[in-house]
Amino acid sequence: MFTANSCFKTDDYGAPSETLTGSIIDSVTGLPIQTEQGNGIRIRLDELSWSSNPVPQYFWVMQNGNFNDTKLFTGYYRITPVDGPFVPLIQQDSNGDTIVNNSRMMEINGVTKVNFMVEPFLNVQWVGEPVVNADSTVTVNFKFTRGTTNPDWQFNVTDVYLFVSEVPYVGNSNFDSRYSTQVTYSGTAGNALLGQTITINTKVMPGSRNYYIRVGARTADNVQKRYNYTDVKMVAIP
Amino acid sequence: MKIIKYLFIVCISLLSACNKLNVPPLNIIKDQDIFNSVNGITAYMARMYSQLPIEDFKYSADHGFNNWNYIKNINTYSGEGVNKNVTVLTNGNTGYWADAYTLIREANYFIQTLPKYSADYNNNQTQLNQWIGEARFIRAFTYFALVKRYGGVPIIDSVQYYPGESLNELQVSRNSEEEVYDYIAQDCDSAIKYMNATSEQKGRANKYVAAALKSTAMLFAGSIAKYNQIQLFDNSGKHLLGIPANKADSFFKASYEASLLLEGHYSLYRANPDKYQNYENLFFDDNSPENIFVKYYHYPDVVHSYDALEVPFQQTGPGYSSYLNPTLNFVELFDGLPKNADGTLKTKDANGKYILYQHRMDLFANAEPRLRATVIFPGDEFRGQQIDVRRGIYTGPVAGGISSLIPDGYTGPYSAANLVTSSSSKQTPYTLPDGTKMNPAGLSGVFTSGVYTRTGFYIRKYMDSTKTQADMLLHHSDQHWIVFRYAEILLNRAEADYELYADGQTDVNYLQDAFNCINDIRDRAGATLLADPNELTIDTIRIERKKELAFENDTWWDIKRWRVADQEINNKIYRILNPFYAANAGEYFFDARLEENNARFTFNPIWYYEPIPGGELTKDPKLIQNPGY
Repeated sequence: MFTANSCFKTDDYGAPSETLTGSIIDSVTGLPIQTEQGNGIRIRLDELSWSSNPVPQYFWVMQNGNFNDTKLFTGYYRITPVDGPFVPLIQQDSNGDTIVNNSRMMEINGVTKVNFMVEPFLNVQWVGEPVVNADSTVTVNFKFTRGTTNPDWQFNVTDVYLFVSEVPYVGNSNFDSRYSTQVTYSGTAGNALLGQTITINTKVMPGSRNYYIRVGARTADNVQKRYNYTDVKMVAIP
Repeated sequence: MKIIKYLFIVCISLLSACNKLNVPPLNIIKDQDIFNSVNGITAYMARMYSQLPIEDFKYSADHGFNNWNYIKNINTYSGEGVNKNVTVLTNGNTGYWADAYTLIREANYFIQTLPKYSADYNNNQTQLNQWIGEARFIRAFTYFALVKRYGGVPIIDSVQYYPGESLNELQVSRNSEEEVYDYIAQDCDSAIKYMNATSEQKGRANKYVAAALKSTAMLFAGSIAKYNQIQLFDNSGKHLLGIPANKADSFFKASYEASLLLEGHYSLYRANPDKYQNYENLFFDDNSPENIFVKYYHYPDVVHSYDALEVPFQQTGPGYSSYLNPTLNFVELFDGLPKNADGTLKTKDANGKYILYQHRMDLFANAEPRLRATVIFPGDEFRGQQIDVRRGIYTGPVAGGISSLIPDGYTGPYSAANLVTSSSSKQTPYTLPDGTKMNPAGLSGVFTSGVYTRTGFYIRKYMDSTKTQADMLLHHSDQHWIVFRYAEILLNRAEADYELYADGQTDVNYLQDAFNCINDIRDRAGATLLADPNELTIDTIRIERKKELAFENDTWWDIKRWRVADQEINNKIYRILNPFYAANAGEYFFDARLEENNARFTFNPIWYYEPIPGGELTKDPKLIQNPGY
């Protein structure tokens, strides 16, 4: 009877409530990196408090490059942003030895703030403002340049995409294929356009309403082939 | 005295009762009941063969192996075909892991137990070698199913015991991807060396079946070494995902040599001089010299539902039909069709007006026999009926030619002007100018609701054209599935040839050999032959493979191992062919356009490797998950 009582214990361990917050900074702009919501960038957490080889946890970074997780346990963690359109922070050579390690090992306790600096594969910028045409298409000008000077991470530019959506969370995970326009480049054709101003039009967009547009560009990288983006702009179709 | 005597008797009986009853239970089958006779061995083998991870009529992306529901088959993931239910692409992950290791354990158990019963077979080494070889083949086949999904997996080569071994010993870590392929080669080599040329029974392995497996697996390994970019190392530096590029040629060479072993023992099926009929028959003729390894079905014991699921709508049994519609993209790969300069099907004349045809089949009059045997065209014959596929009736003017109904690249619906269509199979007949009536849509589509072909085409390959209508039911199909056929070996060989040639290997005239293999396949197919080996490119060979092995659950794995899937399928919308009847001309025209439901497919580069099932990671913390999951 006595042993039976000690077999039942209420799990009253406190709920996780520590916060990890911060930004993934784009080394070219100095601002939080532009990414997409869903299939963008993840923060990988390895809790090293108990084991040197724990099962990793992940949470998503927001579209604007900031991250904020308020439900973590106190502990000692290795923190690494992964999967995004930037040079990986942890790199291994062909023998499996780690040659680059820019992850952070730190205590998470209370509100813990940390930023990471990453080198994006490409830097994509608007040139001027989008123009709404009389036929309800939108013309945009933009240019893309290399975001990293490291030749090992300069892959062929594969395509640029003008994404259109009716919500601000616009990107490769969420766009309206009726209005968005993709331009693909085969082989090295895209590389010749680095630094040049490029013009793309949307398809005809019904009015009268607002749309959110954004340009993405990507390379044939061996991470996850995610896009580097401009910021989001709103256009009003009358 | 009496008391002592009774006590003595009691003591004796108690002492005798201390003897333990050391007899095994009689109601449990023991090793010797199975291993000591051919019937027992056959029963053990039957179990293992039934569990082989064969991707046939009963393998699908959402249900895995041995499930009748073939609707989400991987031919609808690769771009070969579409259907109503597949509207978004997934990684095709079926969580195949625990069942694999169960089968591997059974093979391991067999290999380590059979030698103990050698005396029951008069120590006939040939017989024992045949059986051990079969177990090794089964083990290699299973490891191949694992490595092509997950990359490096734990190699378990002997039976594990619990609680004999500690939990720590049982929790194994992943071997490297290269180690798994090497292990498969080792098992195949042993099977090739020790097995006989013929199988003990139909549907079982032999020396050449093992060679066919090696040919395929080593080709995969070579592709991974050459084209893969995803790398994963564990904490000890073991290379779990990815094979060093300098190993590509040795794997391609191993594949080539394994393919060579089959030469002279198998050949392409050419029994019928009519190449169309021949190509249709090759999938049904049990005496085909092309068959290397076949999975047999037999009604009512072991059945599948291929016919009922795929049959054209006008021939439906109760419920299902139309679940595998070949895309126009696929059809356009073949010879014998009028083509534009960009390779697309030519349906309009030089002025951009639709070409008119008296009969729908006129467009396909010279189609390559292999294509005719693979798909059912609109207006084509199947099971004694004309398969009536029509999108609608065009009622507008025809003088001067009919202009395009929609702009190029348009993904929206047709406008209602000048078109009469049916939304479902309940149609209202339309009165034509000559007074006769015609349904707006064909008996087998195209509608906008229900089941029908979304592309204008139906599947013909493997469909039983002799099946009666009463038998067009689920669980009533029993045509066999050819796991390995010689055409695949020739294609493996041509691809390995070309990769070795392209990499500057000159010990064999690889380019000439590839040329010979491709032309053998094309000749049998009734396709245009290559004129010169220098016409060959890697794409020629890959497209030939897509044409020949279409709808055999192969292309999905090919576009993955070539690492082209994410470029080929990127926001991709497939092309379809809509036949229309021009009422005022009394003839048909075809509109080749992008699919009308605007279904877009994107292959996420993470999917080149599948995720290890979460439950397995929990049981064995030494397993590391693949990246991106």
